[in-house]
Amino acid sequence: MQRLPTGEVVITPRNFKLLEELEHSEKGMGDMSISYGLVDSSDIFMGEWNGGILGPHGTQHDSRFYELRITVPESYPAVPPRVRFVSRINMSCVDGDTGEIIYGKVPATRNWNRNMGMEQVLISLRAEMASDANRRTRQPPEGSTF
Amino acid sequence: MSAPSQLPRRIVKETQRLIAEPVAGISATPYADNLRYFAVSVEGPSDSPYEKGVFQLELFLPSDYPMAPPKVRFLTKIYHPNVDKLGRICLDILKDKWSPALQIRTVLLSIQALLSAPNPDDPLDNAVAEIWKSDEKEALRRAREFTESFAIKK
Repeated sequence: MQRLPTGEVVITPRNFKLLEELEHSEKGMGDMSISYGLVDSSDIFMGEWNGGILGPHGTQHDSRFYELRITVPESYPAVPPRVRFVSRINMSCVDGDTGEIIYGKVPATRNWNRNMGMEQVLISLRAEMASDANRRTRQPPEGSTF
Repeated sequence: MSAPSQLPRRIVKETQRLIAEPVAGISATPYADNLRYFAVSVEGPSDSPYEKGVFQLELFLPSDYPMAPPKVRFLTKIYHPNVDKLGRICLDILKDKWSPALQIRTVLLSIQALLSAPNPDDPLDNAVAEIWKSDEKEALRRAREFTESFAIKK
């Protein structure tokens, strides 16, 4: 969403925003501590994505690789993507039974706006791993899944 | 929602003309809630394996249009060396050959022309392009099969 000097508000439609996000992710992002890509590279609707987060140093998550599944609804980016952990994790903002993130407890989804994307949600989750509430929480065996 | 009065005059004019004087075999209709976003359909040219197919596309005019080209993508699956599996199109005027003198109309005509004249030497889908170059007859057969499966309403 962008407001032009003329007062016009330009809204990038879902599919073109997702193509931008895909191209951005394919270019590679910094230290690759987060990543995301299409589950099926021929899915025209671009509804299902794999996400990855490398656990931050100096925490219980250090050097673990967490797999996530991201579902992008039709009304995206008016609403945030649905995100759940595939890899098992103990974290205050993640449902302990399903691995779904709790929207109100993740800053990126709690304060969602349509200029944000999957990248911001993954970065926000990674920051939560290093927060005081989560950094020392004991974790399930590496490699276990929800 | 972009109020019509705030939409650049150039876009208003182009839209009016697209609706008043449509191009044969092509339709482009803006969505009511986003006047920079168009539902497009292009009929497959009669001299091509896309004949009788109707291909759905989507087109978006970014904020810097017409200094930047429109963004266009196929929504209907198509077997073509210059279209990838996500419907993205490899066409020079959508990239470095774009000029603000071009319009939505010229872009859609160029896409229709690309269906008549695939260019396997500048491919977006390498696997499709390889077959197009090594066994054109087989490529045309596959393109017709895709048209039959995805672009012809039964």
